[in-house]
Amino acid sequence: MPITKRLFASVVFTAGAASVAHAEQLVVNSYGGPYEQIIMERIIEPFQKMTGISVVYDSVGSASQDYAKIKATRGRPGFDVVVMTASQSLDGCREGLLEKFSAKTVPNLVKLNPAINRIAGECGAVHELQYMSLMWRTDKIKSAPTSWSLLFQPELKGKVILPTFQNIMAANLVQALSVMNGGDLLENVAPGFTAMGKLAKQTVGFEQSSAVMETYIKDGQVWAMPFWNGRAQLLMDSGLPVDYTRPKEGTIPLIATLNVPTGAENKAAAMKFVDFFLEKSSQEAWVTGYKVGSARPDIEVPDSVRARQITTEEDLKKLLLPDLSITATKLPEWGDRWERDVVHAAN
Amino acid sequence: MNRALSGLYWLSLTLILLFITLPLLVVVAASLSPSSAVTFAPSEWTFKWYGALWANKWLNPFLLSLKIALVVSFLSGVLGALAAYAIAYEKCPGSAAIMAFLLSPLAVPQIVKGVAIVLFLSSAGFYMLLGTPGLIAAHIVLTLPFAARMIATSIYNFDRNLDRAAQILGASKWQRIRHILLPLVKPGVFSGMTFAFIISFNNIPLSVFLVRPGQTTLPITVINYMEYSLDPVLAAVNVASLIFILATIFLFEKLGGFSAQIHGGSK
Amino acid sequence: MSAVVTEMPAAAPKGRRSSLGGYVPLVPPLTVLLIFFAIPIGMMIGISFQDPKTAAWSLVSYEKFFTDNLMIAGLLRTLVMSGLVAICVTVMAYPVGYFLARSTSRWRAVVFALAIAPELAGVVLRTYGWLIILEDRGFINDALIWSGIVLSPLPLAKNLFGVVVGLTHVVLPFGILAIMTSIQGIDPNLEKAAQILGASRLSVLRHVVFPLSVPGIVSSLLISFTMAASAYATPALLGGARFKVLATMIYEQIMFYTNWPMAAVMALVLLVLMLAFSFAGTRAETRLHKKLNV
Repeated sequence: MPITKRLFASVVFTAGAASVAHAEQLVVNSYGGPYEQIIMERIIEPFQKMTGISVVYDSVGSASQDYAKIKATRGRPGFDVVVMTASQSLDGCREGLLEKFSAKTVPNLVKLNPAINRIAGECGAVHELQYMSLMWRTDKIKSAPTSWSLLFQPELKGKVILPTFQNIMAANLVQALSVMNGGDLLENVAPGFTAMGKLAKQTVGFEQSSAVMETYIKDGQVWAMPFWNGRAQLLMDSGLPVDYTRPKEGTIPLIATLNVPTGAENKAAAMKFVDFFLEKSSQEAWVTGYKVGSARPDIEVPDSVRARQITTEEDLKKLLLPDLSITATKLPEWGDRWERDVVHAAN
Repeated sequence: MNRALSGLYWLSLTLILLFITLPLLVVVAASLSPSSAVTFAPSEWTFKWYGALWANKWLNPFLLSLKIALVVSFLSGVLGALAAYAIAYEKCPGSAAIMAFLLSPLAVPQIVKGVAIVLFLSSAGFYMLLGTPGLIAAHIVLTLPFAARMIATSIYNFDRNLDRAAQILGASKWQRIRHILLPLVKPGVFSGMTFAFIISFNNIPLSVFLVRPGQTTLPITVINYMEYSLDPVLAAVNVASLIFILATIFLFEKLGGFSAQIHGGSK
Repeated sequence: MSAVVTEMPAAAPKGRRSSLGGYVPLVPPLTVLLIFFAIPIGMMIGISFQDPKTAAWSLVSYEKFFTDNLMIAGLLRTLVMSGLVAICVTVMAYPVGYFLARSTSRWRAVVFALAIAPELAGVVLRTYGWLIILEDRGFINDALIWSGIVLSPLPLAKNLFGVVVGLTHVVLPFGILAIMTSIQGIDPNLEKAAQILGASRLSVLRHVVFPLSVPGIVSSLLISFTMAASAYATPALLGGARFKVLATMIYEQIMFYTNWPMAAVMALVLLVLMLAFSFAGTRAETRLHKKLNV
């Protein structure tokens, strides 16, 4: 079987080639699609030009899959830098799977808002902030809403889509509705669940992935939904008749972080990359390119961007900021409650 | 009576085939849709999405998937035949338990297998096996049950009297395996290998954990692309790979002849 | 009819040898399974005894599984769903498998391609195909409402029905292949002989083909049941938030709650159940086969 033998050899060879470390190389894991184009153009190419380090971009896996991979490989997932969220940063730090950052390895860390830094812990470098926005179809809802109460309007019955509990947006929505109805973010969330029970009667269903959730508003079946504002902005820019807002009752941010697994092969280059991403110029490029907020208050961006994004101390103060490690311990209990009080209340 | 039965037979066959093709027709229609939303509105169909496939972005993953699937299919055929031989032909004591063990990977959700394999390779320090070699091994774990099971079924059905006749005529064991058993169970071996090929080529859940940066399989590329853009390029990728696999199966069928042996009148 | 087969005198020595030689061919496949399946799963079983927080030895996850009615409900849903899928697949696979094994027409190649086709399209897009068909605003409901048969959409997706339809579609090719392979192995002359002797088609089917294809049927039932029980994508997409089965719950424990011990317990329960079914099935088959053939 000479053909099979040659095939086998070539497979083994290609596989082996990957583990040969080149002089200065860096493997960055993040997302595909438009995200990939923007990060390439705004961050990775300038970084390669400046440092001469060649970057291999890996778009495999969601943040939770990436984290599972880091956990299963005990910190050696094959990539050096990964984009995850603050909750994973905390968990990974506690488990010793993620590298701790310091002012020495990542000097730009001190330029970030300290409150946000603290939330993400020692192992997460916050490179991007989004918030859970209220998104609606402008062709169906004429007057711009300002409150989560829009979702409860009788005329929106069957015109709302909700996330499943495995999308962290669900827990965040419970928290926001809890605060809105006199409860709090962590201990007394009963008012949030009561409100969610009512909201469940309005919804056409529950979807886990943001990509699927957005198809409902794209085809007009749904008129309003909670959605991360970065993706809402992408939809708006694509020409869809939608708009989004930060409801007046407050909302919860999605704190995205850069992380370096403890077993990363190119740790020095990884640190350089993280620091480069937090540079003032990079943050400005990212905020205007990917249309998200930044934890760096000193960036200069156009007013149109500032109006929509979290960029200043003021913006940060208006956010609801639950302790993420406590949130994480509450999730199993809330998940059961969600099954009983929310999913079963749905039609 | 006979006519009613045969009418019922053809009707059920047609309905079942309709059931099988319906969702695929929807997908094919979507791949030809001119707008970039995956909807079923074939007003003006276009092939432009197929043009987008001729890029390294899709070709490299395709080639990797192909290599892996070929190796997996070959090894599953060999290993599956060995296992099936011991269980169904030799009927060695405890064969039911061994068969249950061979099938047991099917009963574990793939995500658990994926995590477990990565965890084991990492704890044992076999980091160099993560990536394509690990992926091949993991896929074999997934495909071996099918291959073993299918080959075993065809050995169970194998007419032992032929074997006995040959034995009486003085054929050695190896001769009997080579000239009687193997040709007769070849269709089973090839259907096992075909399925191994398809399963490996389309696998997502195991591959997610085992692919290494820069070494991505086609389905993983598709699913990553999908997280942000649900456009018809995806449907085009699927239809293109569907056509490709169909061609492969015809090749397998020509080589192995799932049925040629029986209709060829060798019996 | 089976008498024809069993009447052969047991002239040849028994195929069974007391030596260990029969086990030798098992060494390579079992080694692969040992290294890449048994040991890794063994590690997961070890993890199932860890406390999710402290990693100390503990039975909390087992306790949680067997006392939480959400978990038990998920287990029951898994069994009902897999049982239905196994039956639907096998019933549907039989005529197709029979056709593929026996037909000599040139349509055979086409039918074969169609039978395997579902497996070729990626699972995700295929499932979206079903969603487009089954949704509240999908093909079927549109047609039913338009023709006035129903007033409001029937709940076809996001429930047991949708999942069983989707999974039957996914698993069907495996059932067809199992049954086809098994019928191919039956000597067509047996059928011809029975027909020449005046048996009706139905009785040929009942007394010749069916009994001899039992291994294929068992194979199809077992493979479908196990595949359905461990499938993730189809139940997740077609079952929605309401219809959770063990496999989707395991995924959540690993990915969302990062509670691996809990996931390991659930996977172990699933594995033990499936092993029991598979063992029982194979044993029944071997016994039956000894009766029929040896």
